[in-house]
Amino acid sequence: MKHKLLNKKKERFIAGDLNPLLILKKNKSNLMHKSLKIIFIALLLITSFKVVFAQDNPLKITGKFSTDQRFRTAKPQSWSWNETRIDLSMSKKFEDKAKFYSNIWFRNIGFSNLTALNQLYDKGQTSPFNIDLQEAYIDVNNFIFKDLNLKAGRQKFNWGTGDKLNPVNTLNPLDLEDIWDFGRYQGSDAMKLTYYLKSLKFEGIWLPFFRPSTLPIGDWAEAFMTIPELPAGISLNSLINHIQMPDLSLKNSSSYGFKSSATIGSFDLALHYTYFYDPIPSPDSNVITFAGSFTKINVNAFQQYIRLHNAGLSFSGELFKFGVWGEFSAFIPLEELNMQTVFGTSVMDSLILENKPWYKYLIGTDYTFKDGSYLNIQYLHGFFHEKGNANLNDYFTIAWYKKFLQDKLKITPLSGSFIVADWKDLGNKYVFIYNPEISFMPNDNTEIGLGVRIIYGKGGSTFATVKDKDEVFIKIGYNF
Amino acid sequence: MKKLILLVLIAFAWQAEAQTAIDILKKHDEITFAAKDQKAELTITLTDKKGNVSTRKAVMYQKGMNKRLTRFTYPEAQAGIGFLSLPNDVMYVYLPAFGKERRIASHVKNQTFAGTDFSYDDMEAVPSIEKYNPKLIKTTETEFVLEMIPKKPETSEYSKVIIYINRTTYCSTKTEYFNKGGIKIKELIHKFEKKGNFWYAASAEMTDLRNGHKTRMTMTNITFDSNLSDDIFTVKNLVNI
Repeated sequence: MKHKLLNKKKERFIAGDLNPLLILKKNKSNLMHKSLKIIFIALLLITSFKVVFAQDNPLKITGKFSTDQRFRTAKPQSWSWNETRIDLSMSKKFEDKAKFYSNIWFRNIGFSNLTALNQLYDKGQTSPFNIDLQEAYIDVNNFIFKDLNLKAGRQKFNWGTGDKLNPVNTLNPLDLEDIWDFGRYQGSDAMKLTYYLKSLKFEGIWLPFFRPSTLPIGDWAEAFMTIPELPAGISLNSLINHIQMPDLSLKNSSSYGFKSSATIGSFDLALHYTYFYDPIPSPDSNVITFAGSFTKINVNAFQQYIRLHNAGLSFSGELFKFGVWGEFSAFIPLEELNMQTVFGTSVMDSLILENKPWYKYLIGTDYTFKDGSYLNIQYLHGFFHEKGNANLNDYFTIAWYKKFLQDKLKITPLSGSFIVADWKDLGNKYVFIYNPEISFMPNDNTEIGLGVRIIYGKGGSTFATVKDKDEVFIKIGYNF
Repeated sequence: MKKLILLVLIAFAWQAEAQTAIDILKKHDEITFAAKDQKAELTITLTDKKGNVSTRKAVMYQKGMNKRLTRFTYPEAQAGIGFLSLPNDVMYVYLPAFGKERRIASHVKNQTFAGTDFSYDDMEAVPSIEKYNPKLIKTTETEFVLEMIPKKPETSEYSKVIIYINRTTYCSTKTEYFNKGGIKIKELIHKFEKKGNFWYAASAEMTDLRNGHKTRMTMTNITFDSNLSDDIFTVKNLVNI
């Protein structure tokens, strides 16, 4: 077999396929062809752009290059995150009548994680890369009649007044890929109508398709994984998670929402309503079978997306010179949620969610001191993924920073969270996160950040599962 | 009786002086906000004590005495950031990175505006007469010198502001800012030019005397009375970059 391969290689070498000189010649010729092709296409594009965009408002291309590297402080001090991103935005205004906007991420994320030689041929595995269309929409001003705007395409809604934590922002699916960048949402393919009536604003949104949330990668995946509790003496041989997506029928795949907002005195107020799919799956059923022996089992876990109503309100304003904001959000299930467990001939139902609403809320305040330092404090009841009144934890977040050297240097000595999973058992169910950071702008477009995250906690809450995974991070960003 | 007459005379004299100071400041405001509306391009040059320079560019729209929209266009890291100043002390900021507008609370107003030596308060489109109680402290051959005390001292970082107003044009030439301890902390030098019927601050250089940092703001391509729509000065437009 080995000889045959070698002989084939020999033949190819003689024919010139593997002759280095001939290869070089061929490559040069290919390269020339390719270069000419690229130049031709580039000229064509430039000419087309010139024709299409030779107006007062040319196509604007802006973006940001950023790199984010993290490593664990505990031995063996391994790298835990590697991301290099080009965040490219294009916008084009047609007078004041319409606007096109798009935002695309080009990313190299993760590490080469190869287990076989043939994976070396796959660039996707040697250098994990992805392209993510964050937003792409047109925004039409005075659509049909004055002060009615239509926004169609992939878009983000940014409802709510909280800083990164917005219980009322339920329509866009969450992007939990990087849990430290919480509050990141994915764009939704949607149509939005906005009507302005003096200081009142009304929004109506229709999402024809469902798009689920992405879950965290790396160690955080464990934190969001549901592993069934097993009786003593039984061990898990395999766990396969299945997911059931909503069907694509108009009735079942659509979500919609309404928002009305107004300014009353020194406060901006808004009322929200949405009918949507919870973008994080809930357990539906488990099918358990023995794996060869009576002490090992295989579990096939089925997950589903549940429908919810949401009604909420949000406000922001000023009170005694402090900036204040808050959100209240009621999540109303359509029915009770039970999980069916099938084990041989026995079928068991367990209650996952009662047919009762649960309430998430947030309140926050900020203040800028006379020395220019800035303080921001928030309290949140119920994180993004938590469901059911009994499962909502309390989150206290704080950030205090001061800028120096005409805003070039920013030091955040106090930044972190305190999470309580159970007030009655505080000593055993809490998490403490401390993440001070220092960032420096050597010029107006470049920012370098360095920080640490120290996590300590007890109990079984999401954040407690990654306790002691402290890390150091460095971020570099350049805007263009 | 004589004492009473003296007191009445002093009161009248004080009243006349205060009235004069108010008249001067009102006249100054009328000159500053003479145009029904204006649009200009701003170039903001920041110079530190060592002479390092960085530049910002913005477009500014103003209507009447209390509506102003400022939108940064350069550098790229700040492009798109917008500030909307509306009547009744209402200010909004729009940060493209967050994708939503936010009302500026009063505690922010005394902070530096986008890394410059101007504060949000300095950038607000509000006539001086609405913010300060003026007192004429000196009259020279060419200038009126007014001492202005903030009407709302609790929301101002200044204990007083001294403004030098040209007696002929009623344009300000210099403004000095004093902190709560009575120490002069900032100085603003104006250079007014006339275009058509209107005077405007072609350049304004603010020096922070505490650190020697300077911000020079120059206005170019200014247009007056082009009938700017009220729609420009709305939150809807602020977020529509």
